[in-house]
Amino acid sequence: MSSTASDLKKILGKGKVIDDPAIVKLYSKEPSGMEGEGAIAVVFPESVEDVRRIIRYAYETSTPVYPQGSSTSLAGSAVPFERGIVISMERMKKIHEVNLVDGVAIVDPGIRIDDLNVELARYGYMFPVDPASSSVATVGGAINSGAGGMRGAKYGTMRDWVLGLELVLADEDATLLRVGCKTVKCRQGYDLTRLIVGSEGTLGIVTKATLRITPLPEQVVYILAFYDKLEDLAQTVVDLKASRITPLIAEFMEARTVELAKKLANVEIDAEGHMLLVGVDVYREAAERMLRLLEETARKNNAKKVYKAWSTEEAEEKGLFAIRRNLFTSQVYYTRQRLGKENVHVLIEDIVVPPSRLVEAVKRLDEITRKYGFTLILGGHIGDGNLHPAVGYDPEDEEEKKRVHDWYMEVMKLALELGGSMSAEHGIGVMKKEGLRMEAEALGSPKMLDLMRGIKQVFDPKGILNPGKVV
Amino acid sequence: MQSNGAEALRAYIRAETSKCMFCGFCEALCPTLYHGPHRGYGPRGRVNLARLIARGEASFTSDVVESMYSCLLCKACHLKCPGGIDIVGVVRATRSLYVLSQEVSA
Amino acid sequence: MVLNVREILLLMAEETEKNGIPLPINPRVITEWAEGLGLPEKGDTLLYTGGLYQLMPYINALVKYLEVLESRPSGGFLLKAARKLGLTGLAGAIAKPDRREVEYSHKVLRAIVKLLQSAGVEFAYNPSADGYSGVLLYDMGLDNVFRRHAVRVYESLKKAGARRIITIDPHTTFIMEKVYPEYVKGFDIEVVNYLRLLREKGYKPSGNGGRVVIHDPCLYARELGIIEEPRKLLADAGYEILEPRRSGRMTYCCGGPVESIAPRLSRKIASMRARELSEKGRRVVTLCPICLANLSRAGEKLEINDISLYLSGEA
Ligand SMILES: Cc1cc2nc3c(=O)[nH]c(=O)nc-3n(C[C@H](O)[C@H](O)[C@H](O)COP(=O)(O)OP(=O)(O)OC[C@H]3O[C@@H](n4cnc5c(N)ncnc54)[C@H](O)[C@@H]3O)c2cc1C
Ligand code: SF4
Ligand code: SF4
Repeated sequence: MSSTASDLKKILGKGKVIDDPAIVKLYSKEPSGMEGEGAIAVVFPESVEDVRRIIRYAYETSTPVYPQGSSTSLAGSAVPFERGIVISMERMKKIHEVNLVDGVAIVDPGIRIDDLNVELARYGYMFPVDPASSSVATVGGAINSGAGGMRGAKYGTMRDWVLGLELVLADEDATLLRVGCKTVKCRQGYDLTRLIVGSEGTLGIVTKATLRITPLPEQVVYILAFYDKLEDLAQTVVDLKASRITPLIAEFMEARTVELAKKLANVEIDAEGHMLLVGVDVYREAAERMLRLLEETARKNNAKKVYKAWSTEEAEEKGLFAIRRNLFTSQVYYTRQRLGKENVHVLIEDIVVPPSRLVEAVKRLDEITRKYGFTLILGGHIGDGNLHPAVGYDPEDEEEKKRVHDWYMEVMKLALELGGSMSAEHGIGVMKKEGLRMEAEALGSPKMLDLMRGIKQVFDPKGILNPGKVV
Repeated sequence: MQSNGAEALRAYIRAETSKCMFCGFCEALCPTLYHGPHRGYGPRGRVNLARLIARGEASFTSDVVESMYSCLLCKACHLKCPGGIDIVGVVRATRSLYVLSQEVSA
Repeated sequence: MVLNVREILLLMAEETEKNGIPLPINPRVITEWAEGLGLPEKGDTLLYTGGLYQLMPYINALVKYLEVLESRPSGGFLLKAARKLGLTGLAGAIAKPDRREVEYSHKVLRAIVKLLQSAGVEFAYNPSADGYSGVLLYDMGLDNVFRRHAVRVYESLKKAGARRIITIDPHTTFIMEKVYPEYVKGFDIEVVNYLRLLREKGYKPSGNGGRVVIHDPCLYARELGIIEEPRKLLADAGYEILEPRRSGRMTYCCGGPVESIAPRLSRKIASMRARELSEKGRRVVTLCPICLANLSRAGEKLEINDISLYLSGEA
């Protein structure tokens, strides 16, 4: 046993420290395919005091710590690369308070988003940020990766829903810091709460969060429409905006991707062409009018096929979401077929462009991907301009890995060229550090990185918090 | 999955677990993970520990044995795995490997 | 969190090789329920109980004992000693199950027999061909012990002339239908679950009515697709069915399968599920003896009964 592990066992008690190398490996990996060799032990704090004990020890011994939720990050942000301790927040998963009058929920960082929503649904409320990984992703992880989701166009991302935070700082005393308010309006000098959102565990360990919550919509109506021309699909969204509608979700999938995904989806939907899924939340009385408007707008823009649903349940039943849900899986299956092996990786990009440039972005993405000899799987949140182009590759083929990397860089460049950003919701981690530099330069603001490094230095003078990530 | 000796078991586990993307979607419905002490008590953990065992990169330490033997074989995880991995099959095969390694059924 | 797995496996393996049951008890406990019922012993359709209902009281007694062991640091060691000595603690604890539980299991089995008879199913019960199916051995990875055991079970079924067997719980149904054919060369016995059979016969049971919460067992719901049958039968018997938050294919395990390896974990899972069920109502229907035992152990104020008792108007 390493002395670090035995020290930690003395400090925390045996049950909260694991140094079995096999179990430690379970905390050294991510779905991005990245894996680190640095972790000596995993610790499982059960209280703020536990976290502070760990941080005091880490500070004293200058041992790096890697906070983790469910490690579903796609950017390499949760992986322990240097020798250090993984802090898994999974045991801190209580809901402390749900306050409907104030519209807030106060929760531990380790609770998973869907589990929180099950509880909130009892009151007819929800936490609206819904990354596709919401069944696994923790609140703490989502805060720290600045996550977004399908409802981004209407509800924004984590930064719009975190009102206040409690965190442990990496200083000598392991200071407990509370920032932000319990109210939406809050002018507490510099906005430190938002600084922590998206900081990827590099500025402090989040131990509690005050989240905004919102009522569940009374009803949501949906259409699923298919188009020959991408322009027509985009125009549908433009027309909806002109009709002063802000959809709850507006998801899009490119035609070839639809073809691949429909094979897996196993639904009776005649899916052909580019796909648009729109859901609008309405009061019951308005449902019929809204559904009619959605269908007419789609048809007017040459949609070939339009499926409708009166509620989320009906949409589920009819399989309206099934094709969209197979976006990621279809790339996996496709790549397995292409390479004739099971062990494949899929790289999911995460760029955002102004919605007005979407059509152009899709065309250019297709060209770029072809140039590198990959098949593009493309879907995204058309409402907010967030695109997730993905390619599959062989992780054991060095040449292919290099090609993927070049593709990745060029996709980020494209986003910048179109006035967008290289990361919409997945974060920087280690995979997009180059991208961040590129973006700072494109904005003519390399100073941005100096400021960030300065902030990091103030928060984490010894550089022990998730080292090597972001900047 | 019938065991035809340790090598066949290992080959099966390797093939099945190589499909794992580490997405964790399987974890959401797992009763033992929710109440258990760490990720090894969930399907993602079990699949990846089995993988390490089958590749000879881990041994049957008490933590690994606990992970495998605390599984309910309830298949809730199967409902969510995008890789279509036979998680319960993997757990059973790993248990069989353990039994062989302990000569319990000699 | 978990007991000494190796010791438990050894116990199961040794006992099964000795007397066909993974516990140190007399095999007669599996067949005594049928004594005096006057069921025919010969026929090509046999009722094969697999012994799970009958064993539950003994397993419950064992679990109580193990829970005590688990709370002590020396639990693993004591278990080893108990297995070696055979007599002390372990065997003594198991030998004294709760009589009420034993009687309850007999009541369930007799209710099932009555249902089959009322539905006009022709079947026989041959005590020498009934016995433990070996489910636990298979689940625990004791492949070789299981294989030998399964062959013995198959041979005695064949000797009794079985062409078709009727199974009554999810675990036995699963193992006979899906696993035996894989492990036993030339396995040629048709397996039919009694709930399916009752539906096939178009049988309309009559019960006492009222609202009941249904708890789907994992294997019926996800492995065997037996979801609609119990609901139709209950509805026909006059019950209004309440669905818990997680039901059908999405059902939530009762925690039972790890009761003898990780009793405390098992209890936590059962409590969570029992709470979820209680949100919908107090009267709960189970379709598996393990679910019944484990949910009952959870201590919520629930009135839990096997489906057969609801369908025969005894609950
Ligand atoms: C299939 C798939 C689909 C996805 N879809 C989306 C999507 O639609 N939208 C989206 O935004 N993301 C998506 N993601 C990415 C990822 O799931 C999210 O970013 C998620 O919010 C991460 O949560 P986590 O609990 O797994 O955090 P982790 O991966 O464990 O951690 C993420 C970061 O937060 C830090 N961290 C975690 N907890 C704490 C804490 N308590 N204090 C301080 N730092 C902490 C970690 O150090 C790390 O830097 C997807 C991932 C997968 C695999
Ligand atoms: S089968 Fe095992 S791993 Fe899968 S959900 Fe059930 S307990 Fe968890
Ligand atoms: S859902 Fe499947 S692919 Fe994802 S982590 Fe679990 S086992 Fe692996």
